[in-house]
Amino acid sequence: MKSSELLEQSERAHFLLGNEAVVRGLYEAGVSVTATYPGTPSSEIGDLLYETHRDLGIYFEYSVNEKVAFEVAASASSLGKRAFVFMKHVGLNVAMDSFVSLGVSGVKGGFVILSADDPSLYSSQNEQDNRYLGKFAKYIVMEPSNPQELKDFVVKGFDISEATGQPVLIRSVTRVSHMRSVVKYGPVRNEINNSSKPDRKNTVLLPENSFRLQPQIFDRLKKVVEQGFSRNFINIEGEGEDLIITSGSAYNSIKEALEISGLKAKVMKIGISYPLDVEYIYNQIKHHNRIILIEEGGPFIEEQIYSIIAGKGIRKEVFGKITGDVPYNYEMNVDRVKGILAKIYGIPDKTEVVNIDLPSRPPEFCPGCPHRATYYAAKIALRQKGWKDYISPTDIGCYTLGYYDPYGFGDMLLSMGSSIGTSNGYSIFYGKKVITFIGDSTFFHAGIPPIINAVHNNHPMIVVILDNSTTAMTGGQPTPENMGNIVKIEDILKSIGVKNIHKTDPYDLKMTVETFKRAMDEEGVSVIISERECALEADRKKSKDEFKIFQVNQDKCKLCYNCVRNFTCAAFYIKDKRVYIDPELCDGCSVCSEPLVCPFGAIEVVK
Amino acid sequence: MTSIVLAGVGGQGIITLGKILGEAAILEGKKSLMTEIHGMAQRGGRISVDLRIGDYQSAIIPIGSADAILGFELMETARNTVKLKKDGIIVANKRMIHPMPLIMKAQEYPERESEEIISRYNHYYVNADEIAMSLGEKRSVNMVMLGALFGVGILEISEESLKKTISASFRNPRVSEINIKAFEAGVAAVNQEKVL
Ligand code: SF4
Ligand code: SF4
Repeated sequence: MKSSELLEQSERAHFLLGNEAVVRGLYEAGVSVTATYPGTPSSEIGDLLYETHRDLGIYFEYSVNEKVAFEVAASASSLGKRAFVFMKHVGLNVAMDSFVSLGVSGVKGGFVILSADDPSLYSSQNEQDNRYLGKFAKYIVMEPSNPQELKDFVVKGFDISEATGQPVLIRSVTRVSHMRSVVKYGPVRNEINNSSKPDRKNTVLLPENSFRLQPQIFDRLKKVVEQGFSRNFINIEGEGEDLIITSGSAYNSIKEALEISGLKAKVMKIGISYPLDVEYIYNQIKHHNRIILIEEGGPFIEEQIYSIIAGKGIRKEVFGKITGDVPYNYEMNVDRVKGILAKIYGIPDKTEVVNIDLPSRPPEFCPGCPHRATYYAAKIALRQKGWKDYISPTDIGCYTLGYYDPYGFGDMLLSMGSSIGTSNGYSIFYGKKVITFIGDSTFFHAGIPPIINAVHNNHPMIVVILDNSTTAMTGGQPTPENMGNIVKIEDILKSIGVKNIHKTDPYDLKMTVETFKRAMDEEGVSVIISERECALEADRKKSKDEFKIFQVNQDKCKLCYNCVRNFTCAAFYIKDKRVYIDPELCDGCSVCSEPLVCPFGAIEVVK
Repeated sequence: MTSIVLAGVGGQGIITLGKILGEAAILEGKKSLMTEIHGMAQRGGRISVDLRIGDYQSAIIPIGSADAILGFELMETARNTVKLKKDGIIVANKRMIHPMPLIMKAQEYPERESEEIISRYNHYYVNADEIAMSLGEKRSVNMVMLGALFGVGILEISEESLKKTISASFRNPRVSEINIKAFEAGVAAVNQEKVL
């Protein structure tokens, strides 16, 4: 998407990705400052801001992690500027400390944080429902259902934040952030570039200040209801005896599911799920005996509805997660909602599912990916040294795929940086040397404190930094090593006092195997920086003649299958028992032509 | 109202095609929704995109209700027939991209099995990669496929709107022209299949 499309003033309908709509919303809201650490499914917001922020007149940065990004935005808000920070759901855990404190301080310039949750775990380690974190930290929680609402909620979120003095959490989910649909633009507000010193009695959370602020948090939250915001974000549609209460992405499936099932119900869609307007909702639910709650994540609204029912002393028949009628996990869709309704209403669910038995296609390393080569070389070195029961904690990035066969690396993964963190413990309690894997961007994000710990407490380990100089998994965002003032991993390691620092190019398998073997003989902390640019990024820079293609020379091939079984480049395939390389897929990295992959020299360059 | 599943693997231009199709619908004042069910950034990863034109709220197409599958890769085309209604149409590219579990076990691609599944439905095959190659721009595969989809006649969008959107989508006029040609070649290829 081009800046000119974002800047357009026309009423024309645009076909926007939810994440693109967010950027338009920021522009309409006159936001001054934005920051992030990339994370799916929120990364396209950053991609687009990175491209266009100058034209939009918005400050944007890729911060080193979510906590710093949060603090960049929080500082701007304390000066009176409108500030926005966004991240994937688990990113909020990283920012948690400051996140909670800002709920106490309150905000001066409007402050909106967007958390992109991932029900169904398309690209995450858990399904956490960050509405709970919003409520925990006393943020106003908004739940858009589609790209249009994403944009509109961003704009209104800033107004509400400023009207109440409290920060706003917009909870998006994969299906909303990654949905593309019609978006109509609204008017653009001029940026208010305030800059007044922070109100230090609110922004320095000494016990004394924080003690005074505690009741104010609830006063600010009360305004959300008193000023009618909670109510204005409730939409009621349809008619029927029963009431379905829903929010966010789950809402999208309900109308179609009701239609297919031939059912009628009133549907109440909640846009601000914390704090709720208790009186307004009570006046709605009192007319219905049966209430069905369909939301994605935990029973967040459901629990609050129970409180209203209990508080008002009324009796209702409630169907939801707590009663076991609605599943806790995974994203909703029409088929699932139809199934839920069928059970509640005791009608048959007619969906016929044809069983299709085909091999799966799990995600895999791209052809030419340097990670494949690093893992392959590591395996050879471990075999040659006779290391068998080693432990290999891994981390978050494309290289996590090294978990799968034929590479099989990875014994523990908790969060960003946990590879080195858990290695600190394994190195003592497992009793054998640990070989751990972490990417360059992840190292900057959360790998530095645990490696300081390893040096400081003398925990022996081999840390392999898979340095492809990009944040590849989320689409190739820059890292401190290749943008702005360059920060070098090697310099950091030296200053920490890591004595054994090795560098290797994974495309050179022999050198990489030797490097691993050397590190395996060392005491203390050894670091191997396996350095080679992400193949996708490198391809973008290659000219047409620089592309090479490799092929299997069928006369030389002895059908040992080492290449396919153990190295397993995605460009290989088997036909009539022979090995071939798909010329459309081959990236020309040449690694498979090395003797450590093909001992018979059968893989040759053709172009 | 039309629901279409676009299926294939990363790097085949599927998302771009979806965007063009959705934008063309919007140009005609229709609503359109699109979402990637699977869509890894990596090359070779499985991609399936649900695209719905008309007054829908849910971007995800319910099982057994899609009007068409536009399949860029044989096995992925077959896999996505769970979403297709009984009298739905398949437009399938013959391309085969071997998944990792098969490569690793030195196994062959399930070509016959995939074709058998596809043959249960009303289907058209297009050699989109070959056609794109013959036009000198292998990346125009997606526009060949779009042409083929238009050619089978299930889109309630005019040729004019589609071509207009294609032209607007490519900044370079030469690339834009090739993509229009690719679209036309796709229409022709499917018409030929119809005669056969
Ligand atoms: S490693 Fe070489 S000889 Fe062995 S199957 Fe592969 S190409 Fe053939
Ligand atoms: S040169 Fe070999 S390893 Fe590299 S991409 Fe081509 S087939 Fe794969």
